[in-house]
Amino acid sequence: MTDDKDVLRDVWFGRIPTCFTLYQDEITEREAEPYYLLLPRVSYLTLVTDKVKKHFQKVMRQEDISEIWFEYEGTPLKWHYPIGLLFDLLASSSALPWNITVHFKSFPEKDLLHCPSKDAVEAHFMSCVKEADALKHKSQVINEMQKKDHKQLWMGLQNVVSTWSSQEIETTQRVKQDRFDQFWAINRKLMEYPAEENGFRYIPFRIYQTTTERPFIQKLFRPVAADGQLHTLGDLLREVCPSALAPEDGEKKNQVMIHGIEPMLETPLQWLSEHLSYPDNFLHISIIPQPTD
Amino acid sequence: MEENEFFGEKTFQRYCAEFIKHSQQIGDGWEWRTSKEALELPLDDFEVTESTATNEVIKYEYHVLYSCSYQVPVLYFRASFLDGRPLALKDIWEGVHECYKTRLLQGPWDTISQQEHPILGQPFFVLHPCKTNEFMTPVLKNSRKINRNVNYITSWLSLVGPVVGLHLPLSYAGAASQDE
Repeated sequence: MTDDKDVLRDVWFGRIPTCFTLYQDEITEREAEPYYLLLPRVSYLTLVTDKVKKHFQKVMRQEDISEIWFEYEGTPLKWHYPIGLLFDLLASSSALPWNITVHFKSFPEKDLLHCPSKDAVEAHFMSCVKEADALKHKSQVINEMQKKDHKQLWMGLQNVVSTWSSQEIETTQRVKQDRFDQFWAINRKLMEYPAEENGFRYIPFRIYQTTTERPFIQKLFRPVAADGQLHTLGDLLREVCPSALAPEDGEKKNQVMIHGIEPMLETPLQWLSEHLSYPDNFLHISIIPQPTD
Repeated sequence: MEENEFFGEKTFQRYCAEFIKHSQQIGDGWEWRTSKEALELPLDDFEVTESTATNEVIKYEYHVLYSCSYQVPVLYFRASFLDGRPLALKDIWEGVHECYKTRLLQGPWDTISQQEHPILGQPFFVLHPCKTNEFMTPVLKNSRKINRNVNYITSWLSLVGPVVGLHLPLSYAGAASQDE
């Protein structure tokens, strides 16, 4: 269906205007100007910030530079979470641009995973894809694929670049369309299910809230009920995170957000999984307080 | 429920309970913890101090969690010097015995990597769980053949633990075959 394919495209090409500022205690030889970038929602921080790193390292001495890490309002940003998830969870109720602080010292060992290279991002990404398929297809589809198919998924994602001007967007339009097609040529196989079923075995999802100790909720949940009815987003929340939903007659306290939007709670979970998953094939769902304005 | 070696969470909890019982008997420090938000991923925790060749004391912390995605247990661990400095992945590698290294370096799915602990949210090292079923199947098949009772957790931990410095006392094996 044309409409559904448009959703895939909108998800893939989503961007967040971001302003990177160097942490004030970093030692610089000259003043460091902030750096502006449109970050792809579906990618990962350490994959798309080479330009940021280069920009700030130009005004620093080599000996003052160690592993780069990012922080928003005092919270270290987990590079292994997709960018769109981080934004929705932490900054969606604030005004744009998203203001991120850049650090080159004092890596927070207790909070963040190290990211020694792009290979680490690839390993993490493929690990998520594999886990998602374990849930959807008992790993049958991913295991049947060849190494080159796995590579193609990664290459499609890896070339979702940050841009910083509308000019750059126009000139790279065709390249970007190729990456989308390259990715989905393989990913569509991970979105299939047997004709006799009505969906995947279990839905790969994670629900995030900043108000809890636990980083996320992830459980086994089937897209189809015993009577053949499709489970909805509301059904999922009622089952695994009832506090996210408003009480019967009560006021709506939270937003349930995926890719910056609030899907209707009546939406079938199977459809959400096929169309609003991130490239890692997981639905990353943020529960955030309803903004008061 | 399949005949093979995937098992559900309740079974995981049962094997852990038996394991903990023996641990309490011999006093080697395993604990059962449940997260107050959900019972789904309970964990055990074991602290061990070991001296390295350079006379530095290193503290290891091991957690056993249940992966509902792969339906197998997963071993999470971290290590630090006594002053709190964490060990890096390369330090961990240095501690892995040569005989295990070749196997672990064969592919990204067999290796030790840094991951976020799903309950604590902190960086831990993990042995990837997706091959667990592959190596546990022969162990369990053989036990059934000789009609011997086996605690999955004990068998599994005795296989993966030594790779990362965790050695179970032999008395666990005796305990496993006694429990009916």
